[in-house]
Amino acid sequence: MSASLSGGLPDPPGVLRLGRRDFPAGHLVVMAIVNRTPDSFYRPGLTWDPAAAMERVHEVVAEGADIVDIGGVPARPGDEVDVAEEIRRTVPFIAAVRAAYPELVISVDTWRHGVGREACMAGADLLNDTWGGWDPRLIEVAAEAGAGIVCSHAGHLPPRTRPFRVSYDDVVSDVLEVTLALASRAVAAGVEPARILIDPAHDFGKNTWHSLEITRRLGELAGTGWPVLVSVSNKDFVGETLDVPVDDRLAGTLATTAVCAWLGARVFRAHQVRETRHVLSTISVIRGDLPPARVVRGLA
Amino acid sequence: MLTGAVLCPATPLLHPEVTGRDAVVPILRAACARAVTRLLSSEPDIVVVAGPAALTGEWDPAGRLDPSVFVPGIRRTGDRSLPPALGLGAFLLDQAGYTGRRRLQAVGLDEPASACIQLGMRLRETEAKAALLLMGDGSARRTLKAPGYLDNRATAFDAEVERAVRDSDLGALQRLDRRLAHDLLATGWPAWQVLSGALQDLAPAADVLYSDAPFGVGYLVAYLKTRL
Repeated sequence: MSASLSGGLPDPPGVLRLGRRDFPAGHLVVMAIVNRTPDSFYRPGLTWDPAAAMERVHEVVAEGADIVDIGGVPARPGDEVDVAEEIRRTVPFIAAVRAAYPELVISVDTWRHGVGREACMAGADLLNDTWGGWDPRLIEVAAEAGAGIVCSHAGHLPPRTRPFRVSYDDVVSDVLEVTLALASRAVAAGVEPARILIDPAHDFGKNTWHSLEITRRLGELAGTGWPVLVSVSNKDFVGETLDVPVDDRLAGTLATTAVCAWLGARVFRAHQVRETRHVLSTISVIRGDLPPARVVRGLA
Repeated sequence: MLTGAVLCPATPLLHPEVTGRDAVVPILRAACARAVTRLLSSEPDIVVVAGPAALTGEWDPAGRLDPSVFVPGIRRTGDRSLPPALGLGAFLLDQAGYTGRRRLQAVGLDEPASACIQLGMRLRETEAKAALLLMGDGSARRTLKAPGYLDNRATAFDAEVERAVRDSDLGALQRLDRRLAHDLLATGWPAWQVLSGALQDLAPAADVLYSDAPFGVGYLVAYLKTRL
């Protein structure tokens, strides 16, 4: 798959621009999850109370998060959360985070253009759409607001639905086709190329085998030249790999994170920020993109 | 003439390469194997595998499932375009050691009941001894964790299917509402209509070998023997 098929790649290549920050090619970015929901799959309700949610923001910023990702609707099926409710859950909180952290990159986890627009007006820098462009107007909102956008592959599923015997001739080819098409649309709509990411969206419209395959072949996504976001934290494919419940998936998550980082992913959406930051910094140091923190042993 | 029919779920979990190190559904797999063994005990000249697909049509009888469409990274074998329901039926026959003639009949999900029933009736109009292996599932909306989430109508719907099969009540199968089956993600609906057409007036005796929904999808395994 050739990067030239998508066109409009950022110049110089490798620069990822989000909000007021430019992330150089070697910098691995941590996106901290702060869910404004009572029923997300991991530690449900942890940050449902706004004060608890703000505490969590302070915590993840101190732990090294570059981006805070704020979402109001769980990915799994459940009680309907309409646009008004989703806005209620996320937008005032985004405004509060922006007021507390003028330079922090804020992303909003939504597929809906109405929510995206309000979120950007409140200070969001990035539209994290995990449902593969289900709402075609979301890209326009990114362009109008000068925000970034995540172009993801959700296996052609409507939002909040689970895969049911999904099959692919080649899941990676399908991921590339969908995400590159969305990236092209975003460029054409006027989104700044340096603000575009692609995301294979592990487990979205994919079974565990498919999620493992996109991990194994992450290099093909990175090879397109677009910065790759991965969201693997505590997901079911990790659980099925090891046969462990949701609260025991940290090691599997970090192993997958390290593999994705080694194969070229740039942004890592995580619950456990401190551990993820440590893994990514270690990878950067091993690769030579970053010097180790402090070296004395054997040299004194 | 038709010697008998078997209903099996069309879940990829039947295939050993799909479930990883754990067999996951060993009891279901064993029930399917027993049902198919009983079906083959009448020594049919031909086995017709029928199951849901996008479109109605016959497939190459030598067709085999390629599990790599669900499990990327394993060796590509078989026909990647073969509807999985038919591929799984072919797999069950292979597992049972069947080497005789077979026919792979896809039944389109949009086929009206009358077409499915007529297809079933035509399947038995053969001079050869034929056996029917029907692939299809109950509702995929049985629980909160089901692939299709929960629909409160799903359990009762599947219970009625099971009762109709157990009682060989072919009329009841034909009265199952197609729209409701579609809403409930019950992919077995075409198979049940084909079954009702195929066994009409043959007074079958039914045996239900398995009925459960361990993952929120209704799996039913049954063997129906015709009494002539």
